[in-house]
Amino acid sequence: MLSRFNIYLLEYAINSLLRQKFKNIFITVILTILIFLLSSVFFISSSLRYELQSTVEALPEIVVQNIKAGRHYDIDTQRADSILEITGVNDVVARVWGYYYFANAGVNFTIVGIDEYEQQYKNSLSEVSKKMDFSLPSMYLGNGVKNVMKKNYYKEYFNFIKPDGRLKKVMIAGVFDGDTQLESNDMIVMNKQDVREIFDIDDNKATDLVVKIANVDEIPTVAAKIKQLFPDTRVITKNDLKISYQNIFDYKSGVYLALFIISLFTFFIIIYDKLSGLSSEEKKEIGILKAIGWRIEDDLKEKFYEGFIVSVFSYLVGITLAYVFVYLFQAPLLQNIFTGYSALKTSFELTFVYDTQTLATIFFLSVPIYIAATIIPSWRSATLEADEVMR
Amino acid sequence: MIELKNITKKYEVNKNNTVIALNEVSLKINSGEVVVLKGASGSGKSTILSLIAALSKPTSGEVIVDNRRISKLMDNFATDFRRDNIGFVFQKYNLIPSLSVAQNIILPLVPTNPDEKDVETKLNEVLEMFHIKDKKDILVKNLSGGEQQRAAIARANINNPDIILADEPTANLDEKLSLHFIEIVKELKEQGKTVVIATHDPLFFNLDFVDLEIEIFQGSIVI
Repeated sequence: MLSRFNIYLLEYAINSLLRQKFKNIFITVILTILIFLLSSVFFISSSLRYELQSTVEALPEIVVQNIKAGRHYDIDTQRADSILEITGVNDVVARVWGYYYFANAGVNFTIVGIDEYEQQYKNSLSEVSKKMDFSLPSMYLGNGVKNVMKKNYYKEYFNFIKPDGRLKKVMIAGVFDGDTQLESNDMIVMNKQDVREIFDIDDNKATDLVVKIANVDEIPTVAAKIKQLFPDTRVITKNDLKISYQNIFDYKSGVYLALFIISLFTFFIIIYDKLSGLSSEEKKEIGILKAIGWRIEDDLKEKFYEGFIVSVFSYLVGITLAYVFVYLFQAPLLQNIFTGYSALKTSFELTFVYDTQTLATIFFLSVPIYIAATIIPSWRSATLEADEVMR
Repeated sequence: MIELKNITKKYEVNKNNTVIALNEVSLKINSGEVVVLKGASGSGKSTILSLIAALSKPTSGEVIVDNRRISKLMDNFATDFRRDNIGFVFQKYNLIPSLSVAQNIILPLVPTNPDEKDVETKLNEVLEMFHIKDKKDILVKNLSGGEQQRAAIARANINNPDIILADEPTANLDEKLSLHFIEIVKELKEQGKTVVIATHDPLFFNLDFVDLEIEIFQGSIVI
C-alpha cells in the first residue's frame, strides 16, 4: 500500500524556508537567473544546431564556381553539358542568384532565380515553382524579407535598381517557407529571367552550377573529375560547406561555453556556501527536533523538501522565462552573439525546438546538486548526538 | 521503572581537557513517581535527564527504562524510544519561535505522518489540559514566558508519554508562574506519569507529592 504523503512535513519545510525569507528568496532569484541564462544559451544553440543540420541536409552535393583572381565570377552555362557527361552525375542546374543591398534597412537580400520547367535542387524551391506565375515579374519572399519590406511600406511590389540605374518593378506574390529559417529568411525567389535582368547576368552565364550526384560516396571522385575538366573553377562539395558552417557555429559556441562556465561557477559558489555549514540556530533546531522524536531521515526528508521546493521552483521559472525570452522575444542581445553580422542580414527567427535532452541536462545540472547541498550539512549535524548539537 | 547503573559520563572539551559530568551514579525511579534532582549549575542534573531521554550515551554504565537498555540503543531506535515514551521540557523551552503554538505542539507527531483528525484530537486535548487553547494560532515568539512554558509542556505531552523530564523548568518564570507549574506537575502525577525534574529552585523542595529528592554534587549523588 502506498504510504500517504506527509503534508505536515511539507508544511514544516515551507515554514522553515519562510523563516529565513530574505536569504531563501535571494538564493531562489540567483538560481532562477542562472537557470534562465543557461537554458537560454542551450535553447539558442539547440535552435541553431537544428537550423544548421537542416541547412546542411538541404545543401547541394557539389557547387562549381568560376574563379578569376581569387574571386567568384559568373560561369558559362555550356560547362553544364560537359559536367553532365561525367559518370555518376544525375543533373546539373545553372543557378542564377546574388545579393541585393536594400539601403532603406541596411540589409542584404539573397535573390534566387528559378525556371518554370527546370528540375529544382531543393524542395522549397519546387514548391515555389508550382505556385509562381512565370508570365509576370513576381516574387516570393522569405519571412525576414517580408517583414523588412512591410516596415518600409513595400506591400505589393518593389522596384529593384539595376546595375545600369534603371528600375525593375517586381510584384510581391506571397511568402514562402524554406527548408530552414537560416537559409530562407533573407531569400527572394523569382523568375530566373528577372534575376538576370536585376543583376545584369547574360543568358549564357550563371552564378554557379549545382551538380546532383546519384551516389553520395561518389562525390569526391566526381568533384576531382570536374576540377580536372575545368582547372579554373572552384569545386565545393557538401562536406566542405558543412565544415565551413560548423566552423562558424563552433566559434559562436566558444562564447556559449564562456557563459556556461560563468553560470556554473556562480552556481557552485552558492553550493559551496551551503556546504560550508549550518548556522548555530539551524544546528540547534536539528537538535530540538531530534530531542522531540525526529529521526535522522525525518530531518533529511524535510531538508529534501526545502531543497526541492527552491530548486524545482527556480528550474520551472528559469526554463519558462528562457522559453519566453528565446522564442517569444527572440533572445534580444544573446541572439546577436550567436548569429552575428545582423547589420547585413535580415533578422533571423529562432525556430522552436523542444529538446528533452536539453531540459534534462539543465535539470541534472541544477536540481539534484542543490538538493544535495541542502541535505549534506544537515546530515552532518543530524548524525551528532542531539544533546551535543543543542549544547 | 527508570534505572541508572554505575553511570559515568565524560565530555571531551578538547584533546587535553575532559570534564567528568557524572561519576559512577546509580539510582532507581519507580513508575508514577515524582523525583526532584537538586544541585547547583553544572552539578550533572541535566546530564542525568539527557541520559534517561537517550539524548546522549553514557561513557560507561547502563540506563534501563522499563526493562530496555536504552544506553545501548542505536540512534534511530533511541529517537523512536524518546518519541513514544519521553516528554522533555527544556530549560529555555526550545520552541521554534516562528511557528505558532499549535505548530510547535504537534512537532513530535510530524514524523509519524499522522491522520489530520488524530492530530486535531491530540492537539485539543493538550491545549485544554495546559490552558493555552486561546493561544493556539499565535506565534510562539509573541508569547510570555509562562505561556511559552505551557506550550513546551503541551508539546512534551502530545504523544501521551509515560515519562516527563523537565530541565530547570522554572528558571525563566516568576514565582506565581512557578507555582502554577508545580500544580501542573501534580496533575501529571495524578495521571500516573513519572516526572523527573532537575532544578535548583527551592520552590520544589519538600513538596508533599514529591516522592524523592536527590542531591547531585559535582557529578555524584550526595543524598
